[in-house]
Amino acid sequence: MVKIFVVDNGGQWTHREWRRLRDLDVDTKIVANITPFDDLINENIDGLVLSGGAPRIGLEGDLGNCGEYLKKANFPILGICAGHQFMARFFGGEVKPSKLPEFGKIELTILKENELFSKVPEKSIVWESHNDEVEKIPDNFYLLADSENCKIQAIKHEDKPFYGLQFHPEVEHTEYGEQIFKNFVKICEK
Amino acid sequence: MFNSDKFIKESIEKLNKVITGKALIAFSGGVDSTVCAALVNKAIGDRLIAVHVDTGYMRKNESETVKKLMEEIGLNYRFIDASKEFFSKLKNVEDPEKKRKIIGEKFIRIFEKVAENEKIEYLLQGTIAPDWIESGGELRDTIKSHHNVGGLPEVMKLKLVEPLRDLYKDEVRKVARTLNLSVSERQPFPGPGLAIRIIGEATPERTEIVREACYIVEKEIEEAVEKKQMDMPWQYFAVLLPVKSVGVHGDRRAYGYVIAVRAVHSIDAMTCAFSKIPNEVIDRISTQITNTLKDKVNRVVYDITNKPPSTVEWE
Repeated sequence: MVKIFVVDNGGQWTHREWRRLRDLDVDTKIVANITPFDDLINENIDGLVLSGGAPRIGLEGDLGNCGEYLKKANFPILGICAGHQFMARFFGGEVKPSKLPEFGKIELTILKENELFSKVPEKSIVWESHNDEVEKIPDNFYLLADSENCKIQAIKHEDKPFYGLQFHPEVEHTEYGEQIFKNFVKICEK
Repeated sequence: MFNSDKFIKESIEKLNKVITGKALIAFSGGVDSTVCAALVNKAIGDRLIAVHVDTGYMRKNESETVKKLMEEIGLNYRFIDASKEFFSKLKNVEDPEKKRKIIGEKFIRIFEKVAENEKIEYLLQGTIAPDWIESGGELRDTIKSHHNVGGLPEVMKLKLVEPLRDLYKDEVRKVARTLNLSVSERQPFPGPGLAIRIIGEATPERTEIVREACYIVEKEIEEAVEKKQMDMPWQYFAVLLPVKSVGVHGDRRAYGYVIAVRAVHSIDAMTCAFSKIPNEVIDRISTQITNTLKDKVNRVVYDITNKPPSTVEWE
């Protein structure tokens, strides 16, 4: 059984991420973001989800030990919302308050094929809830998807299996949310 | 996938071990507390006492429905009418968080009194995942204090047990169906009741208005669902807005409250989309409300926001 933990950065939907994984029969657990990296290694995890959170953590300051995970991990990491923003900032990108923040339903456009979006159509409905967004992608990342009002909706590290999503694949109303999680689980199984 | 048979078996075993004395369950008659009561009843039988508190902010005919339900499950129950106390505690209170906290604390004090009289050590609550998620704490922001979590006073004499803590509503419904409970499909109703469906002060007069309006919304939507005019929403109700607007009734000026109708689709309340109610149904709801409550209400609006950015209830 594949083992993927959810790092809790205080999001409203952290528990939903846990539930998506549990529903896919993944061995999963919610862990505090101050959990030392070595403890995660001792648990033999195959992947990690970095949840969103209320503080404007994408903008400044640390996100618990998320920096350490991103520095040391060789397993896949999926950053969601603030987790995605932090990932971008950690690798040298820029995060700013959104000119037009998105809450609720929007249309996502996939720009570049990737296994994370396998079986997801080019255009689909996703749900959002963010005040900030990534404005500049880090040098070693590339863009996977955008929306009308947010140009950086999904990013991927050039070499490592690290993904960042501004939207929320864990909520029920995101059309292909379950498929995206299935794809991530598959990536972790490798 | 979530397996309700396994969950029931494991919960009963666990509850049997954890609860060594007498326990009290806060019984609202909703799906969560009913499932919780049925599980604990199976685990410890007569040592469980179900307490239903009539806060005065209940739906139409709620007390009778709840009494019937407690008898259906075979619960050892107490029925407490505390409506006067709740109304007086909420006098002049307008802030939604204050309302929720006052109601949460009042519930606990009533339960503590029963517990003291009957020598009970444990308090059971049907708290589910969104309740504690939205109530906040530590890293998480407080969206609203659910009366059974954020509304709990800091000092509490009873030991708290929450067997449904990690479940979402759709999973609780699965458990309810497996247990053959008649409430399995009942729509959620917030613990603070109609008090948070009245924006501003929740006076007895306003409570009567919103109670009738909620009743009309429920009745009309349930009939429309039966006639296959629409799908069953996740939740559907009325909210009283403390603003008044001008109308005309039989050539005379009218000046009354506004009622907002809310209906949303969801599976777990963590995200919701407003329901696309057919025009003829929303039309009937509007006319029914303004005719029935003609002295009090002369305007009805429909809430077209999703969650996020809004929440299901207005407070």
